Amino acid sequence: MRERFRALDPRLLWVLLALMALGTLTLYSAGRNTPQAGIWLKQSLWNLLGVILMLWLATTDPRRIFRYSFPTYLLGLVALAAVLVVGRKIGGSTRWFVVAGQTFQPSELMKWITLLYVSQRLGSRPADSVGRLELFGAVGLVAFPMLLIQRQPDLGMALSFLPILLIIPLMKGLRARWVLALLLLVGVGGFGAWKVVLKPYQKQRVMIFLDPSSDLQGKGYQVNQSRIAIGAGGLTGKGFTSGSQTQLNFLPVKTTDFAFSVWAEERGFLGVLLALGLFGLLLSRILDAARAAHTNAEVYFCAGAAGIFALHLLVNVGMVAGALPNKGMVLPFFSAGGSSTLSFFLALGLIMGVLYRSRVK
Amino acid sequence: MDPRQRPPLRRRLGVLRVMAWSLVALLVLVYAWLQLVRHGEFKQLAMQQAVKMRPIAAPRGLVLDRNGHRLVDNRRALHLVIQREDLPTKPEVVVSLAEALTLDPAVLARKIQIYRLAGKGRPLVLKENLDEAGIAIAERVRARFSFLSVEVAPRRVYLGDELAGHVLGYVGEVDEELMKAKPSLFHLGETIGKEGFEASGNDKLKGVDGQKRILVDQLGTEVANFGQVDAVAGRSLFLTLDAGLQKVAQDAFGQEAGAVVVLDLRDGGVLALYSSPSYDPNLFLNRLSQDMVDRYLANNVTRPMVNRATQGIYAPGSTFKLLVALAALEKGIATAQTVVYCAGKKNFYGRDFRCDKPTGHGNLSMVQAIAQSCDVYFYELASRMDVDDIYATAEKYGLTERTGIDLPQEKRTRIPSRAWKRKAAPRDPKWYAGETISVGIGQGAVGVTPIGLARFYALLATKGKLLTPHLFYGFRGDQSNELEPAPVSPPKETALDPRNWAVLDEGLYEVVKSGTATASALKEITMVGKTGTAQVATFVDKSHYARQAKHLKDHALFAGYAPREHPQIAFVVVVENAGFGASSAAPIAKKLVQYWFLDRPRNPLPPPRGKMVDPFAPQQPEVPE
Repeated sequence: MRERFRALDPRLLWVLLALMALGTLTLYSAGRNTPQAGIWLKQSLWNLLGVILMLWLATTDPRRIFRYSFPTYLLGLVALAAVLVVGRKIGGSTRWFVVAGQTFQPSELMKWITLLYVSQRLGSRPADSVGRLELFGAVGLVAFPMLLIQRQPDLGMALSFLPILLIIPLMKGLRARWVLALLLLVGVGGFGAWKVVLKPYQKQRVMIFLDPSSDLQGKGYQVNQSRIAIGAGGLTGKGFTSGSQTQLNFLPVKTTDFAFSVWAEERGFLGVLLALGLFGLLLSRILDAARAAHTNAEVYFCAGAAGIFALHLLVNVGMVAGALPNKGMVLPFFSAGGSSTLSFFLALGLIMGVLYRSRVK
Repeated sequence: MDPRQRPPLRRRLGVLRVMAWSLVALLVLVYAWLQLVRHGEFKQLAMQQAVKMRPIAAPRGLVLDRNGHRLVDNRRALHLVIQREDLPTKPEVVVSLAEALTLDPAVLARKIQIYRLAGKGRPLVLKENLDEAGIAIAERVRARFSFLSVEVAPRRVYLGDELAGHVLGYVGEVDEELMKAKPSLFHLGETIGKEGFEASGNDKLKGVDGQKRILVDQLGTEVANFGQVDAVAGRSLFLTLDAGLQKVAQDAFGQEAGAVVVLDLRDGGVLALYSSPSYDPNLFLNRLSQDMVDRYLANNVTRPMVNRATQGIYAPGSTFKLLVALAALEKGIATAQTVVYCAGKKNFYGRDFRCDKPTGHGNLSMVQAIAQSCDVYFYELASRMDVDDIYATAEKYGLTERTGIDLPQEKRTRIPSRAWKRKAAPRDPKWYAGETISVGIGQGAVGVTPIGLARFYALLATKGKLLTPHLFYGFRGDQSNELEPAPVSPPKETALDPRNWAVLDEGLYEVVKSGTATASALKEITMVGKTGTAQVATFVDKSHYARQAKHLKDHALFAGYAPREHPQIAFVVVVENAGFGASSAAPIAKKLVQYWFLDRPRNPLPPPRGKMVDPFAPQQPEVPE
């Protein structure tokens, strides 16, 4: 047992504990005087379960995990297909299995499984070169679950797969200038088509295809209230459980998508600085793991994981501030949710395992 | 190969690390922009939507009858409102809201527009006095329109329903014209009296609205109160009305139309004022519910909204003969001993004027003429006078002016004169002597309001005191809950010669003792009065008349006072289209007198208690223990 605890990476663990503490405080304040008053406790249980899973995975040899990546990937696809058939429909999308009153979102875990499998595939190939075939293969492996998820539909989740496609080929030696050129081409081409070629009703169709739940007025209201909350926080914040936007329910979905706004309102810019600093340290430590990894697959997984964490950070924290479109991506450790929390910790368990092995050897 | 030994990979990971920290730095910049640079702006926005000023509606004063029985009470009511800062701007929202509440979209849009432009005022009331079903509907609608809120405010309750509709009137939202005319006196959405005493006594009854500064949540629910200026409730007051007597008047009428006025001869206080058909003010509290429109406003046959006691103009018929007699006495063209022979009709200016008794009364003195209500006698008196002589007498005794009762829109009594005819009939401005003959028996152009006639009979009862009829009795003491009598405007003394008065008093006495109203005499109380039958249409003969439609039949009147020895009350009863005054109006007067002097002292209403008591509710039989 002591052996197991030794697998915990202290630097990563402190950052995680700090983030969990911040997140729990946020949820306590957000849930106060609402039907969700106990959500901080529930989330703490998920965190505890996540830490245990993390510990279990950290003491497992990463090579064994990678060995099971393909069957796991297949299982994940089956689960994504199954959820479309037997899943629970909530708010217009079919994303959840319901087991014993708990909802589980298979797409959360599938993100990491896909990363795992793609890392394993490309890691077994020669390094520092990207063959056309393996690139297309990787695109296919990522695109397949993305399309299944977009069928739910869940654009935010589907987009969170993209760092896998972006970062692993880069790590493998795909020239950055090609990636940039491609991004530029897609960006300019898409923008040009949007502005010049498409007619308004066609644009609308594209928007509805991409995000059928987009209710511009409703979401505009949400983001507006979130910006008021953040801005009203000022330098030092309104004080714990004293944010008017939060406590008077002006802030919508404050336990999930807009949890960070609660923190920003009540703890102010200094609190935001603390939280973002911790996220920076988290990313940094994950990249340390990538640098310390023994195999290419481990490098890719860690780098990709950093990408996925960074995307969640960018999209959620940027979205609640109104800097990015509202795409409903959760913020790790802040947004309440069992599936996402467990998935994050499982990924971190693998990363800790990588760090542990680098220390042991 | 161990990836840790590969420099390119290390370099790429280094780039990722820089990108990661750049992302953090970028987000920090975004938050610094919102939280440091634009902090003030967002802080104010957060304040604006959470901290609101809300008016507190002041309850109006209660209205009690002279004995303290509540006639108007307040109850807590819920209203579905839009707070003024939450008024919707989008036309499509207004339309769908109107649909959800089954309101006229155009009217609602206009209301919202007015409320938005007004500087200050109360919230816009969409549905008032919500009952349980109404609350359920309101909650459902609120789920869709978050800017709606439910406000608790006092509402009026009128006791006895139709008992005193015309006296009490009702309240409503101040209308636009009044707002525009006196913007400093009223504010938007304010509840003011619209009719009856609620309107004329509005300044006495209304309180002063308060204001509070509150914290609201996203649903507009009050979460905290930062402080308030309390509303000052309007003062409660007593009316001179006696609920029991009023009830007798109401019951006496049944389905008949007409009016009753009973005056207190000590001060001119109105003891009863009933106009039939009456209306139930409670129905007017809900802004134009269909029920009310159907029952009242659309009814132009019986016209229940008209207060017949102060706004109905009736030919006084024979009740006017007292004034004609008085004019003749004062003019000196006749004395009490003047005898006129009645042959059933008499010819004046080439036209036959008939008496009510075709066979004629024979020789009559003035007192006998009053008692028998002989028309020929008064034709004769009128023929010896000019119409302006009659007018001058009417003017002297206050019959040509409004009585000044504290009810809105009192009509003025119409006593013809030469000047009046010039104005009223510019095409035929000349006064014909024959017209004076008709005036002699209270027909022709003569028209009086029941309240005006009552004031004249009160003058006869008091030997010449011209009272000002009034309903306001006094405020209720804030601590004592007792009446604090309001000063009464002193009666105007008229130069009524006691000798002339004695003739009239004798005549009125004989009416009930030996004349036209003997059936209505009371053993215990000497009630005196004069019957009147006012023609509505002219008929060939009595059988022709009997076959006529009800609305063409004569109005019956009875005016008088009691008791004769030391008069305490004066009264006027008008029953529309009821025929002969003695048979329908006098019995009602008898019931009033009987109640006031005999039944009331023996069997008074239960005394008022703290809570609202309906003195007319059926008594609970007492259960022996």
